[in-house]
Amino acid sequence: MNQWLLPLGVGFLTGILSGFGVGGGTLLLVYLTVVAKMDQHLAQGINLLYFLPAALFALPAHWKNGYIERPVLLPAIASGLITAGLAAWVATAMDVELLRKFFAVFLIVIGLNELFGKGEE
Amino acid sequence: MNFGRLRYALAGALAGIANGFFGGGGGSILVPALTKVCKLEQRKAFATSVAVILPLCTLSVAIYFFRGGLDLMTALPYVAGGAVGGLVGGRIFRDVKVVWIKRGFGLLLIYGGVRCFL
Repeated sequence: MNQWLLPLGVGFLTGILSGFGVGGGTLLLVYLTVVAKMDQHLAQGINLLYFLPAALFALPAHWKNGYIERPVLLPAIASGLITAGLAAWVATAMDVELLRKFFAVFLIVIGLNELFGKGEE
Repeated sequence: MNFGRLRYALAGALAGIANGFFGGGGGSILVPALTKVCKLEQRKAFATSVAVILPLCTLSVAIYFFRGGLDLMTALPYVAGGAVGGLVGGRIFRDVKVVWIKRGFGLLLIYGGVRCFL
């Protein structure tokens, strides 16, 4: 039971953040790799899959509230699809331990930026 | 207008790299890029990043799936929880102060990064 309940709860909490766009996916990655001790590839795959419904269910409210800046969508998605495809290809072929090291650096850099970056609100 | 679109494209490309390579974290790059480089209002940057990341994620997850890095049964409870969380997140977003979330979030990430090294 616990095997289901805990992931469900964690998914729910990070899902709220993912709905905000505040980085729930990054947080879930930390949970999956550090706490649940999953292999980096598996954690990343789960995190990607998890984000699909979280985003899908959050978007209608954002759209209705007028928070979606439409001119961004087409150029950002078009270029992002290219780099995401290439990067996913490289990552799935990469040694898990090496990928984990890159990931660690990525987390620390983002964490510092969140802590010391200037917020506008 | 061209510069604007070029900046959006650049922001999207960076988010795509994170999304494909790390399987997430695209928003953590896209949001600062949209606010600082593209001068979007912060709240719009957050919401828009969700819309941009969704298609990137769809592509990445397909690649992870077909190249063997995905266990659907293990993923299921996270996916179910995430669906409900996303729904709630979208609804309450308007009334939430973002700054304090970011601070707590930053601390957690640094903790995770250090633990990953150990």
